[in-house]
Amino acid sequence: MQDLDAILGSASERIDGASSLEDLDAVESELLGRRSYINQQRRGLGKLDPADRPAAGARLQQAADQLQGLIDGRRRVLERQAADRLLADDLVDVTVPRRPVRQGRSHLITQTIDEISDIFTAIGYQIADGPEAETAWHNFDALNTPWWHPSRLESDTMYLDYGDPEDEILLRTQTSTVQARVMESQPPPVYVLAPGRCYRTDTIDATHLPVFHQFEGLAVAEGITFADLKGTLAYFARQYFGPERTIRLLPHFFPFTEPSAEMHVSCFACDGSGCRVCGNNGWIELLGCGMVDPNVFEAVGYDPSDVTGFAFGGGIERVAQVRHGIHDMRHLIDNDLRVNEQFV
Amino acid sequence: MRVSHRWLRDFVDLPTSDPDEIEALLAGLGHEVEGIETLDLPFSGVEVARVQSIRPHPDADKIRLVTVDRGSGTQEVVCGAWNFDVGDIVTLATVGAVLPGGFEIGAREIRGVVSEGMICSERELGFGDDHEGILVLAGDYELGRDFADYLELPDVVYELSITPNRPDAMSMLGIARDLAAKLDVELRQPEIRVDEVDPSTGLEIEIQDPAGCPRFVGREVRGVMSGASPMWMQSRLRAAGIRPISNLVDATNYVMIELGHPTHAFDLDQVAGEKLIIHRAGPGDTLTTLDGVERPLDPGDIVISDAEGVVSLAGVMGGGPTEVSEATTRVLVEAAHWHPPAILYSSKRHNLRSEASARFERGVDPSLSGRAAARVTQLLVDNAGGEAATGVVDVYPAPVEPWTVELPMGEVERILGIPIGSDVASGLLTRLGMEVAGTDPLVVRVPTSRPDLTRPIDLVEEVARLYGFEHIPETLPHGTGGGLTPEQRRLRRLRSILTGAGFTEASTLGFIGVSDLDALDLPAEDPRRATVRVKNPLSEAEETLRSTLLPGLLRAAARNRAYGRDDVALFEVGRVFRNRPAAIDSRVPHQPVHLALLVTGQLHGPLEPVDDPADIFDVTAVLQTMAERLGWSDVGLRQADVAGLHPGRAAVVTKDGEVIGTLGEVHPSAAGRFDLPQRVATLEMRIAPLLTEPPWWSFGPPSVYPPHKFDLAFEMDRSVAAADLMTVVRSAPGTGLESVELFDEFDLGGGRKSLAVTVVVRASDRTMTDEDAQQVRRAIIDHVQLELGVKLRGGE
Repeated sequence: MQDLDAILGSASERIDGASSLEDLDAVESELLGRRSYINQQRRGLGKLDPADRPAAGARLQQAADQLQGLIDGRRRVLERQAADRLLADDLVDVTVPRRPVRQGRSHLITQTIDEISDIFTAIGYQIADGPEAETAWHNFDALNTPWWHPSRLESDTMYLDYGDPEDEILLRTQTSTVQARVMESQPPPVYVLAPGRCYRTDTIDATHLPVFHQFEGLAVAEGITFADLKGTLAYFARQYFGPERTIRLLPHFFPFTEPSAEMHVSCFACDGSGCRVCGNNGWIELLGCGMVDPNVFEAVGYDPSDVTGFAFGGGIERVAQVRHGIHDMRHLIDNDLRVNEQFV
Repeated sequence: MRVSHRWLRDFVDLPTSDPDEIEALLAGLGHEVEGIETLDLPFSGVEVARVQSIRPHPDADKIRLVTVDRGSGTQEVVCGAWNFDVGDIVTLATVGAVLPGGFEIGAREIRGVVSEGMICSERELGFGDDHEGILVLAGDYELGRDFADYLELPDVVYELSITPNRPDAMSMLGIARDLAAKLDVELRQPEIRVDEVDPSTGLEIEIQDPAGCPRFVGREVRGVMSGASPMWMQSRLRAAGIRPISNLVDATNYVMIELGHPTHAFDLDQVAGEKLIIHRAGPGDTLTTLDGVERPLDPGDIVISDAEGVVSLAGVMGGGPTEVSEATTRVLVEAAHWHPPAILYSSKRHNLRSEASARFERGVDPSLSGRAAARVTQLLVDNAGGEAATGVVDVYPAPVEPWTVELPMGEVERILGIPIGSDVASGLLTRLGMEVAGTDPLVVRVPTSRPDLTRPIDLVEEVARLYGFEHIPETLPHGTGGGLTPEQRRLRRLRSILTGAGFTEASTLGFIGVSDLDALDLPAEDPRRATVRVKNPLSEAEETLRSTLLPGLLRAAARNRAYGRDDVALFEVGRVFRNRPAAIDSRVPHQPVHLALLVTGQLHGPLEPVDDPADIFDVTAVLQTMAERLGWSDVGLRQADVAGLHPGRAAVVTKDGEVIGTLGEVHPSAAGRFDLPQRVATLEMRIAPLLTEPPWWSFGPPSVYPPHKFDLAFEMDRSVAAADLMTVVRSAPGTGLESVELFDEFDLGGGRKSLAVTVVVRASDRTMTDEDAQQVRRAIIDHVQLELGVKLRGGE
């Protein structure tokens, strides 16, 4: 059995030395084939003392398995090398965008509306809409706007040549119309957000579009307070502009709310110390808001001694412009794909 | 409203001069600061001097040598101006003075005479623009005193945006009152005193339109001499953004800024009959206003007439002939209260916006008219050497009295969300000039200067405003829930299907012109011709509301082409408008939400060398995908003639047999009119039918048995629609038909074509035999022959 040790000792070098599958076949035949030393020894087992046979047989089998294992391992290596030589011709430049997936983008306005809608549905609001071609009653009268108010003039509001001249029909100038639409159609409590298109007689420039979008929030129930308005707007500011944001409300005037306020959010770019984004002010003016005026409740048939409510309204374009640094509103209606494809 | 810090300090002691702190104070009161302007002294080293003597220059004709008295001594300077005399008070830039532009004054020799300083013009001092001569000062000045002391400089001006509910805040005194209330300090009122001199005025006032003019106060001031106002007044007016004109005009402007009540000064000698009549303009009335424009008047305009005709457009602008001038010696001071909407409409109508109309249209305090007239009179006496005639003509048939509002303290808490003590609320309201009695409710007497405070809620706002919004906590109420409606969720899904298919969303303005409908060659009876017109459109090209989304998208595609991008896929979701009543409210027009999409150009990647520009089949594919992903299997297509589209490449979109839209390639002539020379494929449809929730889909278990597959090629007339063939194949009798797919279309010529389908048959309960599959094949062939008269290509 001295020879077996010698064979095993030199086998791995010989197996690894086989440089082709043919070489390896020859080595295998030599080591394990019919005329191999191991095979000859097996055939000679019968001549041994029966007591020695099992041990000798086991030893031979063990050596054969060991050699077979080495040969199989080498074969896998050689086979893969052979396959790789063939695949080398199938080389590609992986950086070539040969078949791009062409996907479009939804408009920034849509994305912003969806995002703000999600912020408010998360606290139990529903999303409402109303007609864009609207009655003057819903746009002005129901919202406590006096008949002589300058916003009713044709220099501010677009009127339509439609229907009964008694019901002046116009293009809504604010989504606040939805306040009246919702309240006249259902009893309180009301928690709605109404995003949508509005129209004003404005000349197009960097900061004005005659057609733009607003979002109107309305919460009406027993016990709604100005503190609730503050908390709701602070929640919105943190959701939309980041968890570090704070807000402030400054007294203002709107016909349909009282008290009325203008909401400012601490600048997300400089954290309130003053920068280009906030005009060195530390605060960004975001939207108008206030407690629903009792006259509005009366116009829609709610009893102002039963319920209170707050409303707020902001520009969709405005919040999106602030967040994404779009200085010229005209980019939002040009539909230039170089712009719209930036709306990730 | 421009508010001068120095002027403000006449009425209220401010705790700070830091503009940021003042801004925060004002903003907290609801007066937004839109800008802060710092007014610096433009010069140094200029003092007041009196001309003592003048002598000619020995060597020059055009300049003179002037000796001035500086109080502490005299000095001679050379001067080229001739507009002054001995005794006049002038400004002297002494040696070392620095004038605007860094111009430093030194001793200078002019034609052999040394001039130690210079007498200055307004322009040389950096204010005003009068440079015709040197500045001659009127009024009391101390010789030798630094001229800067008279200019109220440096100063800081806050540009405030005053909300329309606060007419009282359109004045220095109004802003001072708010600040004094917020700071809880004293408010100092200007001292107004008029010493009247006999004889009495003969002035007459007649109000024929008491609704338009509830009050008119007239006073007469005699013996005035027109000239320049004192420097302090000119400076204050400039700070307020008003150009000083003369002591007569400046007095009225000063009072307007100080008290918030506009007034007008007439030259009484030019008022025919010394009588003013207030009425609405009659037919044919015209007025040549101060700006020299002759204006036809509207029956809605309130006007003031004398015995000969209209002399003033009330509250907006006076007339030229009765204007005060340098020759005026008798002034009629008008302080009237006008009906705010009338002034608003007059100023809009005549496009005349003035400081006065801005105040009248908000509503000036009618109780203030008497004080305003007295204040102007006082200033005319002080600054123009006039005498106040005895008597005030005050026509005020129905005086407005302060009114009472009761404020239950529970209401304050119900609105604001925090309890505020009645003593605190009472104190805040008192500081604003209200008289408060009681504890709960507070019984509040509101001054006539605050027409915005008539209800308890108005007082809640005032309490909150002074208390400070920042002291109210933040609480977050939750709504009743429910989330998005199924329609809203499905619209989001629709958008994501479209963007996934490569379409980018557009947003167009929503107006079209009739020319757009003409460009699409729409016939008169096309429903898209039933447009709604805008009465006051932005332009003629945007005179109607869109009745179709197509023109907007076509224009967007053309614009992208102009930007260098020929390959465009866009969609838009938005309302269109039709001239018939809406279902939700019959008063407003029908305004359904439409979806439109457009695709043109090469949509493959640039590396794929396929010259295969987008066409109608890109659109039918998207329609198919939308229908499948939204769960509607009954959305179909029918070849049709559609106005505006290519006659051979157009279809109507149907759902449940009802037409819900159209698709196809834009007619090449129409596309050309929108500057799109290539193929443009589009779709436009009502969106509501797709957003309705379909019945829940039911699971079909996949068969575990092996399939049989075979192909069938049919030959038929070109007019047979592939969709019809597929429908017939699918409806073949028998069992086991799993799927049918079209895989080839081939033009055989002579008006014939071939359509080839792959059929998969498979049973759910067993392995089908070849004979079973053959039976299905036979059934399909027979059924197609029966239904369509179409045979297999080449026969069986």
